Amino acid sequence: MPNGLRIILLLTPGLGLVMTLMIWVLYRAFAQSFGLYNFNGDDLLTLSHWQGMFQNRRYWNALEWSGYIAVVSATLAVAVAYPLVIWLRRPFKGSFLLSALIKAPYFVPGLVAAFLLINVISYHGFVNEFLIWIGVWDQPVRMQNDKNGYAIIGLQVWKQLPLAFLLLSGAVAAIPDNVLHAAQDLGAGTWDRFRKVVLPMTVTAMQASLILIFIGAAGDFTFQAVAGPTRENSLATLMVTYQGASYSDWNGAAVIGVTLMVLSLLGSIVFAALVQIVAKLMERV
Amino acid sequence: MPDLDIRNVEMRFGGFCALSDVSLSVSSGKFITLLGPSGCGKTTLLNIIAGFLHPTQGSVLINGKGVTSLRPENRDTAMCFQSYALFPHLNVHDNVAFGPRQKRVARAETQSRVSTLLSQMGLDLHSTKLPNALSGGQQQRVALARALAVEPGLVLFDEPLSNLDAKLRDQVRSEIRSLQRELGFTAVYVTHDQAEALAMSDEVFLLNGGRIVQSGKPRDIYFKPKTRFVADFIGAANLHSGPINSGAMTTPFGPLSVDSPNLSMSTVCWRPESAALGGPLSGVVSSAAFQGSYLDVFLTKDGETIRLQISGDQHLEVGQTVSFGVPRDRVVIIEDTDTGQANA
Repeated sequence: MPNGLRIILLLTPGLGLVMTLMIWVLYRAFAQSFGLYNFNGDDLLTLSHWQGMFQNRRYWNALEWSGYIAVVSATLAVAVAYPLVIWLRRPFKGSFLLSALIKAPYFVPGLVAAFLLINVISYHGFVNEFLIWIGVWDQPVRMQNDKNGYAIIGLQVWKQLPLAFLLLSGAVAAIPDNVLHAAQDLGAGTWDRFRKVVLPMTVTAMQASLILIFIGAAGDFTFQAVAGPTRENSLATLMVTYQGASYSDWNGAAVIGVTLMVLSLLGSIVFAALVQIVAKLMERV
Repeated sequence: MPDLDIRNVEMRFGGFCALSDVSLSVSSGKFITLLGPSGCGKTTLLNIIAGFLHPTQGSVLINGKGVTSLRPENRDTAMCFQSYALFPHLNVHDNVAFGPRQKRVARAETQSRVSTLLSQMGLDLHSTKLPNALSGGQQQRVALARALAVEPGLVLFDEPLSNLDAKLRDQVRSEIRSLQRELGFTAVYVTHDQAEALAMSDEVFLLNGGRIVQSGKPRDIYFKPKTRFVADFIGAANLHSGPINSGAMTTPFGPLSVDSPNLSMSTVCWRPESAALGGPLSGVVSSAAFQGSYLDVFLTKDGETIRLQISGDQHLEVGQTVSFGVPRDRVVIIEDTDTGQANA
């Protein structure tokens, strides 16, 4: 038996199953967006679902909103994770506890986290009540469902920080002390060591963190539904609206689903390329 | 070129004292070696000079200026690390140019320094390679070039040859020394290899247990060890203890001439290569190993063993009785009987 065929046969039970399921799901979504697998009528291959969606302002708003939340959340989560990772690079008294606290959000379900945040920032939540009590302001301030999505971004950063922390901490810990000492010895201060040594040596981990957080935040439903502004939709909440009781438009929902996948793919490519460019630029500045 | 002055430096890590009351002085353009066994504090001292560690007590002066609290990036030093510590994401050229760029040296000057150093090190053909594409010897040369590119007054070497094979070690060792003589920088070299220290240094500082136990020119350290530890650590040594009467010490091998008046109790030391066949001493050959240029012989008598290194063209059989002598001026009285154990 040829060697190549043997390798394919050996991989088939594991990789084959995964590929089949993935391709099947992707095919269904694509096909449904073009009118096939229609649950509300006859199957008809058509571009009308895409054309209809392209003329819908809510669709473009949702795309723009999801992109905004994903980009800002991923960037902030990585920006917060880097200094923490560098600070906790070498163990010290209490560093284990700090690491555990940073990773803790990973174990809290998103819905619970959003609910907890609402308790904190709602009109009669802890923050408002406390600030009125100490006399900072006289009446409650509206913080929940803010129009700029700060609550969602905060929740995303809090929830995704452990992912960035774990990926970056492995990469940063792998940089030998001597390499950092060498840079310092040759005149590099803290910032220069970061941009000329740490950043280029951890760029792959940073790309992975940004992409994973971007994809997760772009497809977010829970935080948007609970803490997001009432007048904005993310692609996920819009998709559920189309698919659910409001419209029962499965083909329209499929268009949004495919858009979300394309956004994730393009966002990942753009993020990966940008990180490379920024890292090179920072190294040279 | 700076003088280096280390004054009463102490370094404690919790309850452990890594360095205790260490003082030394290095003149400009000199090559000095910090020598000692593992854990004696030599790398700690180097890290204090570089600024990576701050001493618990004492001070470091470079060119008369106190630098004890100065950060490493602001000191006129450059270090060659044991593990080379090259930047893996930069090619050879950029590794060497890192320091000058950091110190804001003009672009043309940086280029000139890098080209000259790469040429001197025989690395011009490898300038676009990443460090992982180089051999150990080439990496070490890049590390040296990188350190020299900032034209430091003081170059610190942390066991730079320990990862190289024996032949390459000899080659790079002589290259470092030639460069140091040519460029005239002051060098502080850390090693646990006594042969390396003796071959390269203008002055050797031998450390043990966080203290300098002896310092001096390589020949003085080798031929005039002050303690049992020094005698034993630097090369092979034969040691005898006992009283000295009428200029001789009685040993199991016979009377050993010593250039000294009567002493009630003392320890003397002589080197294996100081002995010559024929003389008032004798012993039975317990083993003999031909080493090319010399014959390594172990003689035993009354339960005591000594070592001789005689010309390689001699032939001795195990069990043969051999007579030998040691010139009086090669027998050294050791000032104390300190075993040189670590202090804490």
